[in-house]
Amino acid sequence: MQDVSKAPPRDGVFITRVSKSFGTPSGDTVEALRPVSLDIEAGEFVALIGPSGCGKSTLLNIVAGFEEPSAGTVQVDGEKVTRPDIRRGMVFQQYALFPWLNVRDNVAFGLRQKGVPRREREAIAQRYLDLVGLSEFGDARPDALSGGMKQRVALARVFATEPGTILMDEPFGALDALTRGFLQQELLRIWREHRKTVLLVTHSVQEALFLATRVVVMTSRPGRIKLDQRIDLPYPRSVATPGFRECESTILEALDDELRKTYGSAPAMVSD
Amino acid sequence: MHTLGPTSAARKVIPYFAAMCAVVLAWQAVVAVTQPSPAVLPSPALTAQTLWSLFASGEAWRHIGASLGRVFAAWLLAAVLAIPLGLLQGTHPRLERLLDPLFELFRPISPLAWIPMAILWFGIGEAGKIFIIFIATFFPILLNTVSGVKAVDPVLVRAGRVLGCDTDARLFRQVILPAAMPTILVGLRISFGTGWAAIIAAELVAANRGLGYLIANGMEILRSDQVLAGMVIIALLGILVDTGFRIAGRRLGVKD
Repeated sequence: MQDVSKAPPRDGVFITRVSKSFGTPSGDTVEALRPVSLDIEAGEFVALIGPSGCGKSTLLNIVAGFEEPSAGTVQVDGEKVTRPDIRRGMVFQQYALFPWLNVRDNVAFGLRQKGVPRREREAIAQRYLDLVGLSEFGDARPDALSGGMKQRVALARVFATEPGTILMDEPFGALDALTRGFLQQELLRIWREHRKTVLLVTHSVQEALFLATRVVVMTSRPGRIKLDQRIDLPYPRSVATPGFRECESTILEALDDELRKTYGSAPAMVSD
Repeated sequence: MHTLGPTSAARKVIPYFAAMCAVVLAWQAVVAVTQPSPAVLPSPALTAQTLWSLFASGEAWRHIGASLGRVFAAWLLAAVLAIPLGLLQGTHPRLERLLDPLFELFRPISPLAWIPMAILWFGIGEAGKIFIIFIATFFPILLNTVSGVKAVDPVLVRAGRVLGCDTDARLFRQVILPAAMPTILVGLRISFGTGWAAIIAAELVAANRGLGYLIANGMEILRSDQVLAGMVIIALLGILVDTGFRIAGRRLGVKD
């Protein structure tokens, strides 16, 4: 195990022996996360996958700075994480758009907090709206948009602040299959253009395999890392990409083990 | 705003108009069948006549002005105190645990019950009347503000923090306040209604102007037509002001 405190600052996400326990009202302690260590180099796209309740969202929230680890540290781009920071963008499953702002002001929100002058931030917002194919919707209210369009606005909002790292918590989980597929391609295109470090929590093996350079499988609660698999397939990927099915079955097998532990017997694994 | 065409406006007015016609018809039917003395139940025609003369002489405007002024003053005072207090309570759970039982204790007491104390404390001038209406307007504003702040979606708070709201003050200004605003505006609208309903109580004692006075005076001189005329003015103005608030709220993006 490398000693982060002595290593020179490096870009990327470095999770070192992070664990998390909760106290319950009855006085018990629930262990949500066993000490987890994970090094993500700058520019990598890592998908975190595991049975529900395995602590993958907890881990993501710790990296974002929303939750404090019970032990261990997270270092992002050479700095220890202590609180949320605009340099670590987050995309939420529930979109989290501000309903009192129009689409353009939503995208410009982070820039406004950074003190970017109005005209400049509106120009930047428009550029990112163009990027996600919503050029015409700057004046629309979020309420007027479909789920898929809302999540595109949320993507534009995150990319507009140019964070070094983007964290995503099941960003496409609430969307229908067609929209999800389309947004996965969009995300992939933007990521390949901008090469941010991405940590994506998902419950879809196919989503992980379409997008990620690396798939990390977690065990059922308390979560540990079960499998850390590099995915060296060429983009854009599909189920027909040579090697895709092999990767898929490796991951499904690891997941199946864990689901067996969670549910007692192996349920039919739904890959998407 | 652009959806408010003439047809949709008409569609909103027609039910009110129909309800009004139904009330007048039923009223007229009761008068026709039972033939009561005008002191017990004046006919719609007599009431309309009284209304007309009240407006023609300008007396109605004097009463309306006095009542609206009192309600507006009390409502403004309540808003100035209840909104900041509600914002504090909503963002500080410990303060809420402390204050909530206190307010719950006072809330069931009708503004009417405060009349004697209001006279003792503030005398029979304007202050006592405004105090009564203040009691009626304070709680709806406070409760809506507190619940508006507490109901702010936690994911919006997280989004705000991760998008650069790095101090509590900035987060409050940029996320919590705008997110709670629709609920606060609803509280302001509702409280104007409860305050308006309380003018009778406030103007029951030692007033010489106002719609409450008009009604109380009508009772004393056995002019039921004047009492009913006062009630009609209160109802119509209540609807008018409430509609004004709804339109203003919709301009600000509130869905009611």
